[in-house]
Amino acid sequence: MPIAGAPALLLIAIALWEVCAAHRDARAVPDDAAWHDAAQRVRAGFQRGDLIVFAPAWIDPIGRWQLGDLIPIEAAARMDAARYGRIWEVAIRGARAPETAGLAPVASDEHAGVAVRRYERAPAIVVADVLDRVATATGRPALELAEVGFAPHRCLQVSPAPGAPLRLTFPALPLGRTLVGYVGIADVFTRRDVRSPVQLDVELAGKIIATVEAGVDDGWVRFEAATSPGPADVTFIARARDAGRRVCFAAEARQ
Amino acid sequence: MTARHAHRAIGWALALITTIVVVVNQRDVGIARDEIVYMQMGGRYADWWLGLVAFDHGPTEASVTQTFGGPGATDNNREHPAVMKTLFGLSERLLHKKLGVLDEVTAYRLPSAVLDGLAVALVYFLALGLCGLAEAIVAALLALLLPRAVFHAGLACFDAPTMTLWLATVYAYLRALDGRRWPWQVGVVWGLALGTKHTALLLPFALGAHYLIVAWRARPSGAWHQVLRAVIGYRWRVIVSLAVLGPLTLYVVWPWLWFDPVHHVRDWLGFHLHHVHYNYEYLGHNWNAPRFPWHVALVTTLFTVPVATLAAAAIGAGVWIAARPRRADAPALLLALSAAASIGPFVLGTTPIFGAEKHWMPALPTICLAAAVGVGWAARALRSSVIPERVAIAVVAGAVVLAAAAETWVAQPYALTWYNALAGGAPGGADLGMNRQFWGVALRGVLPEIAREAPAGGGAIYTHDASPAWGLYQRLGLAPRGLRDAGWEQAGIERSQLAVVIHERHFNRHDYLIWKAYGTVQPSFVLRSAGVPIVSLYRRPR
Repeated sequence: MPIAGAPALLLIAIALWEVCAAHRDARAVPDDAAWHDAAQRVRAGFQRGDLIVFAPAWIDPIGRWQLGDLIPIEAAARMDAARYGRIWEVAIRGARAPETAGLAPVASDEHAGVAVRRYERAPAIVVADVLDRVATATGRPALELAEVGFAPHRCLQVSPAPGAPLRLTFPALPLGRTLVGYVGIADVFTRRDVRSPVQLDVELAGKIIATVEAGVDDGWVRFEAATSPGPADVTFIARARDAGRRVCFAAEARQ
Repeated sequence: MTARHAHRAIGWALALITTIVVVVNQRDVGIARDEIVYMQMGGRYADWWLGLVAFDHGPTEASVTQTFGGPGATDNNREHPAVMKTLFGLSERLLHKKLGVLDEVTAYRLPSAVLDGLAVALVYFLALGLCGLAEAIVAALLALLLPRAVFHAGLACFDAPTMTLWLATVYAYLRALDGRRWPWQVGVVWGLALGTKHTALLLPFALGAHYLIVAWRARPSGAWHQVLRAVIGYRWRVIVSLAVLGPLTLYVVWPWLWFDPVHHVRDWLGFHLHHVHYNYEYLGHNWNAPRFPWHVALVTTLFTVPVATLAAAAIGAGVWIAARPRRADAPALLLALSAAASIGPFVLGTTPIFGAEKHWMPALPTICLAAAVGVGWAARALRSSVIPERVAIAVVAGAVVLAAAAETWVAQPYALTWYNALAGGAPGGADLGMNRQFWGVALRGVLPEIAREAPAGGGAIYTHDASPAWGLYQRLGLAPRGLRDAGWEQAGIERSQLAVVIHERHFNRHDYLIWKAYGTVQPSFVLRSAGVPIVSLYRRPR
């Protein structure tokens, strides 16, 4: 009987586990009171210019509901998190946000399942942000808040004609030791309907210093090039094989 | 009452219970985007039929085209056959408009719920004939307690009815193999399945393969041409029934085919062969273009059928395989082929995967039947001198059914967000990057909050993909009458005072459009299912 009865006992065990697990899973996410307490903790220590991130990514709407008044659109749709010296991470289920990878929290507490962690680090010093200088650029790019890789990004958006590179020059752009940027294809529906990638070159003093290709599934693709401090004409060259491509990019000159 | 009558009564009682469960459950389920179309078209189709039998008009090409078709690929929803839409419309016209016994939405949805009850009855009678009463009851209860199926059956859509009519065809085919003289049922039922959804075209692959196998087994010895003749002629009336009565039934129940049927069938199938790929999230990736992962259907089924049901089905499949076919008509093989035909196209990597499990629902009865076999076998193996068979079956079956009931209970009314315990429930599904929902049904849950936040003097709300349902919500008294639908995309948002985002990964773009227009990233309310965000509501800052 012991061996013959094993399948039945296994089924009973699985079933009882499932009954308990289904009940537990449905209540596995912290409730409103926990979120409220966690939000109060962030508010108590928040300083202007801090970045707030949420993990896992799917709790982002709840996080913005609780703390969205402390998150300017520019922060929510940031190029990346390098310029932020203080980061608040509000997390559940043991998750970590990519923005805090490799950092150790300087403060951490738990509110009935919602973890609040504060990280501090030396922020990147931004010498110039092309988004702030859109008025000086040739080629008339549009400053957009776009969906790229299902995430929000403020970016310069252009639609180059197929086979005709579109050049955008920022004259006398102050440079630091490095130029960091990202590029991607905006709009999920054009990414679905047209599957070709786009390319962005960065030209400094007639020389290509960075080339990056972004495909439809690549999201927000990083590029970086070493630069010499001081003002210089920087040209971004966007290329697309197909019409209607929305090339979206941002870049910062950093010390 | 004889045992036979009692057994029949149990089957129909289970069907009735299923229908009641689905009808009660759907009251909290929001209106799906496509459902609006099917309801509207159902009303038109029903009026046309009622006008026809009342001799208000004849079956003219002009009236048929005006009601069922048109030059455009989606005119009058001609891309989907008419059977279920007609039933939705007739139900609403009779039970809501004429008799007033049901509200409008419930009346439209009732035929789908009734057909789900019929599916459970078919599972019961199939299992009763193959295994016995205990297995039949277990199979039926497990078919009733499928969380996603209960959800889909509560919509005025085609997916649950397709499962039923697919299974009904399989059932009729199996019975027709007894050599009866007039196996008309199998052709007619398949025709109704075709008249419900194009996926019924996959059925002949299962039936054809099964027919060849059982005919081959029954072949006489002799010359090859004698064998060939015996195989083809094994139950040739079944083939004739399917080949003749199937298309004929489809033709009769879908007036759009009455004129220029060849072109209209070509257009119908062409639409689905070149269907646009909607966005669908699976294991953390938004899929909207082939090639799709071959395992979408398998993993999604693994995460959307109760775990205990799957475990029992695995045992049952093992029992089937080990037992080898004892019956000449090989019912287990037929059920396996039926499931394979339903789920097979999604392994190819090119078949659109949006909608996921609703598109391979005809595979579910096979799982439930296998699970019942597994439960019965395991329970009988448990019996001993101290544990009688009845007790063993009651304990094992009770545990498996209880697990399915628990999953079904927690899944509603946002069953598209729910995943089973193996996935970790709705939060686990979100962690895994499984699809959150589709069709905008979750808007229903945020309507009370919208009513609270609506501007006193009226205004406009942006609801993106739930926009088609807004007027119906207002008619039902669930949404403020003074709050009009703002319209589509950025222009709609600019006009709005409230805005909604129904969370799917590719709908994140609506958040960003709203942020731009409202100047804030902060929703005023977030609706959650088991803690997982499903709808955000924004209020334009004053």
